[in-house]
Amino acid sequence: MDFINENLITILILLPVVGAVLTLGYQMISKQEDQLKWVTLGFTVLNFLVSLLLFSKSEIAGPGGFFFEKNVPWIKAIGTNYHVGVDGLSFWLVILTTFMMPIAVISAWHAVEKKRTAFFVFLLLLESAMIGVFVSLDLLVFYLFFEASLVPMFFLIGIWGGDNRIYAAVKFFIFTAFGSLLMLVAIIALFYIYADQTGLGGSFDFVSILAAMKAGNLVLPPQTGSLLFMAFALAFAIKVPLFPFHTWLPDAHTEAPTAGSVILAAILLKMGTYGLMRFNFSLFPDQSREWAWLFITLAIIGIIYGALVAMVQPDMKRLVAYSSVAHMGFVILGMFSFTELGMQGALYTMLSHGVTTGALFLLVGFIYERRHTREITQFGGLSNVMPVYATVFVITTMASIGLPFLNGFVGEFLIMIGMFQSHVLGVTASVNWNYIAAMLSGMGVIFAAVYLLWMVQRVFFGKVTNEKNKTLADLSWREIGLMIPLIFLMVYMGVFPKPFLERSDDAIKAIQERVMHQAGGTIEKTELKPPAIADEHR
Amino acid sequence: MNTFFLTDLVAPNANISIILPELIVAFAGVVVMLYDSFFPKQRTVSGVIAIAGLVISGIVLGTMWGGDQPATSWNGMIAHDNLRLSFSFVFLFVSAMTVLISTVWVERENVPAGEYHALLLFATFGMMMMSAGNDLVVIFLGLETLSIATYVMAGLRKADLKSNESAMKYFILGSFASAFLLYGMALIYGATGSTNLTQIAEKVANPNFPALMLIGGAMMIVGFGFKIAMAPFHVWAPDVYEGAPTPITGFMAAGPKAAAFASFIRVFVLGLPLVAGVQSSEYLHLTWTSALAVMAIATILVGNVAAIMQTNVKRMLAYSSIAHAGYALVGFIGAGMAKTDAARDAAIASVAFYMLTYSVTNLGAFAIVTLLAQKNDRRCDFEDYNGIGFKSPVLSFSLSLFMLSLLGLPLTAGFMGKVLVFRPALEAANPLITSLVVVAVIGSAISAYYYLRLIVVMFFRERVSEWIEPKIPAGLAAALIIAVIGVLYFGIFADRVIEKFAQSPSSVAVKADK
Repeated sequence: MDFINENLITILILLPVVGAVLTLGYQMISKQEDQLKWVTLGFTVLNFLVSLLLFSKSEIAGPGGFFFEKNVPWIKAIGTNYHVGVDGLSFWLVILTTFMMPIAVISAWHAVEKKRTAFFVFLLLLESAMIGVFVSLDLLVFYLFFEASLVPMFFLIGIWGGDNRIYAAVKFFIFTAFGSLLMLVAIIALFYIYADQTGLGGSFDFVSILAAMKAGNLVLPPQTGSLLFMAFALAFAIKVPLFPFHTWLPDAHTEAPTAGSVILAAILLKMGTYGLMRFNFSLFPDQSREWAWLFITLAIIGIIYGALVAMVQPDMKRLVAYSSVAHMGFVILGMFSFTELGMQGALYTMLSHGVTTGALFLLVGFIYERRHTREITQFGGLSNVMPVYATVFVITTMASIGLPFLNGFVGEFLIMIGMFQSHVLGVTASVNWNYIAAMLSGMGVIFAAVYLLWMVQRVFFGKVTNEKNKTLADLSWREIGLMIPLIFLMVYMGVFPKPFLERSDDAIKAIQERVMHQAGGTIEKTELKPPAIADEHR
Repeated sequence: MNTFFLTDLVAPNANISIILPELIVAFAGVVVMLYDSFFPKQRTVSGVIAIAGLVISGIVLGTMWGGDQPATSWNGMIAHDNLRLSFSFVFLFVSAMTVLISTVWVERENVPAGEYHALLLFATFGMMMMSAGNDLVVIFLGLETLSIATYVMAGLRKADLKSNESAMKYFILGSFASAFLLYGMALIYGATGSTNLTQIAEKVANPNFPALMLIGGAMMIVGFGFKIAMAPFHVWAPDVYEGAPTPITGFMAAGPKAAAFASFIRVFVLGLPLVAGVQSSEYLHLTWTSALAVMAIATILVGNVAAIMQTNVKRMLAYSSIAHAGYALVGFIGAGMAKTDAARDAAIASVAFYMLTYSVTNLGAFAIVTLLAQKNDRRCDFEDYNGIGFKSPVLSFSLSLFMLSLLGLPLTAGFMGKVLVFRPALEAANPLITSLVVVAVIGSAISAYYYLRLIVVMFFRERVSEWIEPKIPAGLAAALIIAVIGVLYFGIFADRVIEKFAQSPSSVAVKADK
């Protein structure tokens, strides 16, 4: 058990790689591809089960507050260590990743017809890279996984995507690579600033750098700090994607195969918000506060713009993609409120968006498999033909809108409370800009109801107008089985968020304290007394 | 006026053991030529002799790390330091790979194998002399040995006009650049009274004619800049690379370029160091570092932007090799700006390592391009790669791996190389150099477009025309396997190689003396 505890995270990262190698080997020997999905499914489920061991918080946290830490030298000549570990923030994202992977695999059960081996191999490699992103505590190793996750996704979109897949794949790759390359420069620069100021030799180690900063041994000059902050933030903002860097997202989502879209929405986007919260807030707290206004503004633009654009989309998948832009805007808003509630809400929205939007992409994929179109105008009255499908779809839509007792509500509600409590924006005698921000974001919820319900109405209700829709088969047992865990989570997370929030509490608190930490060493108390209603949720 | 007496002539301090690796390579070249004159129709034997010579030389070279050789020998003409050893290792690797890759081409086009292998070995000898030479004259001799052999190799496909054009262009422009280089060396000699780099370095603080140092330095930048295809002296490269036989192109993009880098670094970083507090030296240092920084920026931008527009894979790789020279220059300038000797050695090692990663990746790519090119390099357009992805998965995935490594994606050699060369430049904490690094990463982002394009055409498009899977001969297969393993090995377990490259053998020797 000790061995597993020590290497649990490494096992999580390597297991999919082993799966990929076995898949490839199996195909080479047996020359047939039909059974491969079982191998892949087996490995993803196994990885999910292994990741559940993370719940056993048996180990004592290391000095940085991380569990299951592993720290061994990797390339000494560069000064980088293989340092991994989880805390309350990354914990849920790892679980989300391992949870969504089997679902993505099952969703590709019949949908992928050509080059199945390669498809599953890329899926497994992608899982490794994504887990790696969330657990890396060495900046260079983090960068490594962050970049490595691009390649499998690039292939997934490019080979198995829709008609415009090449454009979408290349755009996806170049947008993300551009931002992260600047982050690489910032990471190396930070290495030398650390060497310069502490005299310990350089370090890529997040925990060491953070400790040096907290102890005051490492003080970034304001201008350098801003540049580094911006380099990190750009990489993550593109990944989130924050308006105006969002243009790659609708293309990538629309062209990607269903499994790809699910992973993209559920997990890849979270890398951006995770990175901001983990690295930007902790490493550059002063700059984070200084630039919060910019991110909040962009987030609000993203919420409203995403919603408005989603409203006029003729394509269901594109509509869901734009709704992602809006939801991720909410996450950014909550994070940059710098209140505990807001940040908790941001993490919660990350998780629930993963579940809900993942489910929406699956549902769109189901109908696409049947009709080979996603045009809203092609449908109408589907609830008569496919009642189960319609029910599931409506529940998921409600979760996405943020109906109380479903998961979307909790996160967005916390974010808005957080924003109301926040002091991050200016307060003048006549206007409290934090209130304005919170209220504007509230508009986004209304818009979300408009575009999603309108789509539901046009697709499911009324009479069946199109002859082709009259004979559509309802959901198969595989598809229903796929949706059950997701629906269960939507309800569970909506009714009983406590275990989720409790688990991430320490980590969020630590980050919040860090980001509000003044150079002088005092903690700016910004929290008002949390309202009673919020207490209920915690 | 000094009077010259015959007694002033010193018998050179002949230290054969220190130039043993060079001698072995040259000897192998002679053996290949002799063998070829007796058995002219052979193809494999001369290749085997060449590989054997290169490998033995490499083993001897390997034992010299940590040996007790003096820092300089032959009256200061031959240096023995990490720069020499690490770069020589790169050259031997490049040549051995080239021999392996060219097996398919030698067979297909009926190339006179003995001639070709001998030339390749002599070129390697020249490159090794360039990295070992601690004297301007030795460096120049090495450069000419290399260049003349390469001119001929570029024109080896005698019946093909493009190959002739390539050789001719390379010859005329190369001679022109050599003349510049030689003139610069003469001026430096005039300014310092010596061609020995150690003595020049001592004289830098107090030269006879400071202005001549500047002009001489500028001339040498032109000469070396031509050889490494640095903008604005890069114009020859695409035409020559496109016209030359594909394996030779791979060789030229990796070997001679690395050799020019070795001498370039030795002359400028070690020969014209910064002497703090002396105005003329500070001015000279500032001038050459900033001139190189500006040209590196131009090189990166020109190489990457021009590569986007290419329709021919060889030409694309040629422009990409220009861009890569720009990235290597980043490490070079970092070495020039280094504040301590240890940092300088590490920076030099980073350039050597960069050339190694570039070579292993690029040669791997050229191996596949050679294989697919068919007779007279007919199939070198992007179109010809259409949809071969799942038809020849081994070749296509290897080629994709090489493209991703050239792009600098993590877990590949290219990433480690880039991180290493960017490090010393960022350590300098100088605004111009930092912006150079930023330009370099923007360049990498641009390069994603054309590297991915090859992957896109291979995997994301459908094949329209018929596809005959080429047979992979053993030599080329070996080269491919070495390249794939190398790309992953240098990307994941680079530790030992980097340490070895940065480790200075001469300091060990100094310690042993004490």
